[in-house]
Amino acid sequence: MTELVRGDGRTHISSRLMRESLQDRDVLSQTDSDRDLRVFPDVTLVSIGGQSIFDRGKAAILPLVDELVQLKRDRGLKMVIGVGGGTRVRHTISIALDLGLPVGGMAQLVGAMEELNAILLNTLLAPHGSMPMQRDHFWDLPLYFDAGITPIAISVPPYHFWEPPPIEGAVPMHGSDFGLFQLAEVLGFGAAIYVKDEDGLYDKDPKQHADARRLPKLTLDELLAKPPETNILDEELFRTWKNARNLKKLTIINGLVRGQLTRALAGEDVGTVITK
Amino acid sequence: MSERRTLDSALANSSLTGATSIDYRPIAVMPDVRVVKIGGQSIMDRGRAALFPILEEVIAAREKGIQVVLLTGGGTRARHIYAVASELEMPVGVIATLGKYIPMQNARMLQMILAKHGGLFILPDDFEKLPLYLQLGCIPVMSGMPPFGYWEKREGDSRIPPHRTDAGVFLSAEFLGAKRAIFIKDEDGLYTDDPKKHPDATLIPRITAKELVARNLPDVVVERMVVEYLPRARWCKELQVVNGLKRGQVLAALEGQDVGTIISA
Repeated sequence: MTELVRGDGRTHISSRLMRESLQDRDVLSQTDSDRDLRVFPDVTLVSIGGQSIFDRGKAAILPLVDELVQLKRDRGLKMVIGVGGGTRVRHTISIALDLGLPVGGMAQLVGAMEELNAILLNTLLAPHGSMPMQRDHFWDLPLYFDAGITPIAISVPPYHFWEPPPIEGAVPMHGSDFGLFQLAEVLGFGAAIYVKDEDGLYDKDPKQHADARRLPKLTLDELLAKPPETNILDEELFRTWKNARNLKKLTIINGLVRGQLTRALAGEDVGTVITK
Repeated sequence: MSERRTLDSALANSSLTGATSIDYRPIAVMPDVRVVKIGGQSIMDRGRAALFPILEEVIAAREKGIQVVLLTGGGTRARHIYAVASELEMPVGVIATLGKYIPMQNARMLQMILAKHGGLFILPDDFEKLPLYLQLGCIPVMSGMPPFGYWEKREGDSRIPPHRTDAGVFLSAEFLGAKRAIFIKDEDGLYTDDPKKHPDATLIPRITAKELVARNLPDVVVERMVVEYLPRARWCKELQVVNGLKRGQVLAALEGQDVGTIISA
């Protein structure tokens, strides 16, 4: 039975948090438990790199699309695809920095560049069953999967004008890698696969060092304790994952090598597997 | 092997994190705007008795040519849905999405009351239209909740979204290039503890964000994320907390006077 509580000038609804300051640490910790509800545990996120795949054009994009088409023959496979923006995002930010636009202004601008790649991908995949998913229309997902339609999600998170001041520098911290991670996390997806143009993470940049060693398997804590020299995902993704509850496995694979995505979606350990 | 086709720019091969080589001289978008929060639990839930005198002072400021944007908090209904959703072990992003609705209701309430004085309900993306609205003498009203929703991150051992309406007010002020974010609450400012529960708590009229963090207070008057962000801000270097229940405080704050508590970067 809901009860209205008066007597201090305010009208409260009776609840555990009634009259409480939501800044109070004890009050905050009372809202927690050791798990989060998982909405779609049998879904996998597939994030396709902007710079690493789309900026290479047809030669990289078409074989990957073909692999996705083959994968889609398995009607039981549930995946949500997202894409990065690549070089056009970097160009946008370099102009915006020179103009002195606020960080929130930059965050408002960059999503358009990812969306271009999402339109390209959907145009190629639509004949085989794909659709752009509106921002947070997650509750349509069961419908998509039942119909054999692969949703293509918006990857840049809606921080927009409210992008917080970054820890260092003036570039927005919440990019497409983070946005897609958070989508997988909040919906309790089973796994996340990041498709790049290297066989995973290396101890140093393999494009510069021939003796760079691939890291086939590591834990998030190991990664945070000793980050590789060049990180191919947003730093904010790893910081967020550290505090998160749901996602246990993130794989980074090479989209230029045919079959890696298929194997990763089958749950095999390819590329670099990061676990928590 | 195909090549990455990159556009030539100073960041062409950048990982897009941290500092860059570009000389960044930020511009202030609308530095004269006063970004003002009307508290949910502290003001809206008190109803007419608390709200109407505050709005009279906002209207008076607007008539003096001071540009004001009002953002609303949630209050007890937000606490109620947070309590129910937490019990159901909802992820923080779901709870942040639920948290959008109540400040939105409060903003719509304010708009109805202020309509005859130019009150205008605006959405988060309407910042681009503010120059027109403010030149027309309007008082734009919007929800203080940031639009992060499902993309809100978990911080620490809590299901309460770390960015709520105080964060939205601060981040709005920072984007617009305002020097100060003004929070209208029902206390004279920041205290050494929650003054509603500890009558011996004392008022802190001025403090820096660093001092505030160092004090490690069990409770603070503004969201902790805001205190964390303040030192990194380019424009919004001060938070001002004023008591809306005391006549004259709101107008004084809107005129730029140092009333209440000032928390500085």
